[in-house]
Amino acid sequence: MAFGQVLVNWLLLGSLYAAVALGFSLVWGIMNIVNLAHGAFIVVGAYIAFWMYTQLSIDPYMGIPLTMAALFLIGWLVQYVVINRVIRAPLLVTFLLTFGLDLLITDLVQQIFSSNRRSINTTYAADGFDIGSTHIAFDSLIAAGIAILLTAALSYFLARTRTGNAILATGMDQDAARLMGINISRTYALTFGIGAALAGAAGAMFAELRQFKPPDEGTFTLHAFVIVVLGGLGTPWGAIAGGLAFGFAETIIPLFPGVGSGYDDAITFAVLVAVLVFRPNGLLGKAFYS
Amino acid sequence: MTTNIGQLARVTKPLPKQTKERRTWLWSLLIGLAILAAIATVPAYGNAALLHTWTWIVMVIVLAQSWNFIGGYTGYAAFGNVAFFGIGSYSVGLLVLAGLPFWVGLIVGGIIAGVFALLIGLPVLRLKGHYFAIATLGTAEALREFVEVKDIGGGGGGLMSLPLPGLNAYTIVFYAFISLSVICLFITAVLVRSKFGYALIAIRENEQAAEALGIHTYWYKVGAFVLSAVPTALAGGLYAYWATGFDPGTVFDRSISVEIVLLTFLGGTGTILGPIIGGILFETASFQFQTSGLSLHNTLLGFSIIVVTIILPQGLIRLLQEFTRKSAPDLTAVNRFMEGLQRVRRYITANGI
Repeated sequence: MAFGQVLVNWLLLGSLYAAVALGFSLVWGIMNIVNLAHGAFIVVGAYIAFWMYTQLSIDPYMGIPLTMAALFLIGWLVQYVVINRVIRAPLLVTFLLTFGLDLLITDLVQQIFSSNRRSINTTYAADGFDIGSTHIAFDSLIAAGIAILLTAALSYFLARTRTGNAILATGMDQDAARLMGINISRTYALTFGIGAALAGAAGAMFAELRQFKPPDEGTFTLHAFVIVVLGGLGTPWGAIAGGLAFGFAETIIPLFPGVGSGYDDAITFAVLVAVLVFRPNGLLGKAFYS
Repeated sequence: MTTNIGQLARVTKPLPKQTKERRTWLWSLLIGLAILAAIATVPAYGNAALLHTWTWIVMVIVLAQSWNFIGGYTGYAAFGNVAFFGIGSYSVGLLVLAGLPFWVGLIVGGIIAGVFALLIGLPVLRLKGHYFAIATLGTAEALREFVEVKDIGGGGGGLMSLPLPGLNAYTIVFYAFISLSVICLFITAVLVRSKFGYALIAIRENEQAAEALGIHTYWYKVGAFVLSAVPTALAGGLYAYWATGFDPGTVFDRSISVEIVLLTFLGGTGTILGPIIGGILFETASFQFQTSGLSLHNTLLGFSIIVVTIILPQGLIRLLQEFTRKSAPDLTAVNRFMEGLQRVRRYITANGI
């Protein structure tokens, strides 16, 4: 494969992965919860996009605001009703709880949509343009653009708005934030809702670009985790860095002689252990939340 | 200064006798043995379906008991124990297909799983918290994928069939699971009174303090991980023989990993009886649900997880302790009972339900 093509594939895939990890990184950084239901939210987002496309003929990209709104509502409710009750519990409890949510949501999606592999074939799915011998597909390019847009928007929201500052403050010191008059449960619900909404956006993009089925949720969660570990917690741009780093590993490693494709999870795991052993704070340095 | 004097006074007081505390393990062991003995009578009166159900339950209890070593006592959230289960299944399956006797496969599977736990544990147990949990989850998934892609054992990732065991074999496998559970019970009971076990509990309570006291925490953790892997692999080997088949999707199914964590939670993590009580309660409920004709196993599992983690994050055993805690001595039996109920109610509502 030509060098330029590999480069383009890597950049497009990396941005898409950044979108997968964005919400996960936010929830982990602010609430210190590893949300194992994140992959399930992505799957729900993909199926909402699929449903809107087949029933209402809404384009997956155009429907992203609707998908995000639906997922925001789900995430907000889940946090407000369930997770806020165990927010101070030991790690194992929250970990197990989100795993339970993951199983529940995935099974329900499977009951509604069956476990068949689905895909969306838009009219422009095969379109693209060429630079020399390098082919760039429109839909991948749009997805990468949306991913970067979402990252920038999240970054602006956290740094420049009052609500965003409240979220950051809660992540830094819960008790001090409470003393400043911030309602912790509501801030957490908002954070989790935004995390789920971002997962929904990623799901809509995946629905456009790839085939998907409910059991994919485990792979999404594992990928999100590795990307966040690679990029470091706390800043939305870390997700982009992690996404690119992880996309690099996934694009390059199967090109080595004797490896071949099909080892997605094995590569993911190998990258994870290597990074954790050599650079425990991720590639971009500081751990936001000890 | 007043606090110092207060502390001094407390130190100089004679220490309270700890006989009750000391005998808890013995009572737990005896109750556990009684429960397992009661289960062991199933073949005497039950039909094949009942035997099948209880074989499965005892198997899950064994898995939960061995998870308890690393997850309950050491406090490390291992979410990939199904990897060892799969290793055991594949060892037995492949060696039986190669014509070797069943028990050779069982032993080989146990050894391979132990070595694998050692090799994986060396890097992974340097990690803590979420990182450890995900790394173990990743190991299991990566191993499943490897077995599927490499198509180990043939069958295109599908079900490999083993020769059918004889009619008596089901009873034999059942008693093998019972023996394994009894062995795990004894190991747990010895563990909580041994230096090794104290070290593990110290790691769970405060790893840095344990390290400061001169405990080589790293090696104790690796030891606990291996200890957790071997019985799991033996159970996996027995499973392959019992189910007369194995495929990656079943013996590396990560919902097994999660289920054993859940039912240890339900009973009580880091307790001798927790896995047994949790296993019996959850699995009988699960079977009731299945026989009612609904195929919502994961929905049930997910829902139970949510309810259990919110209402009973420390398990039923803790509720029982709360109920039987010593109350004022001059109460009548009825009043004591009512006060116990009050405490249990308060304990549950403390979590905001």
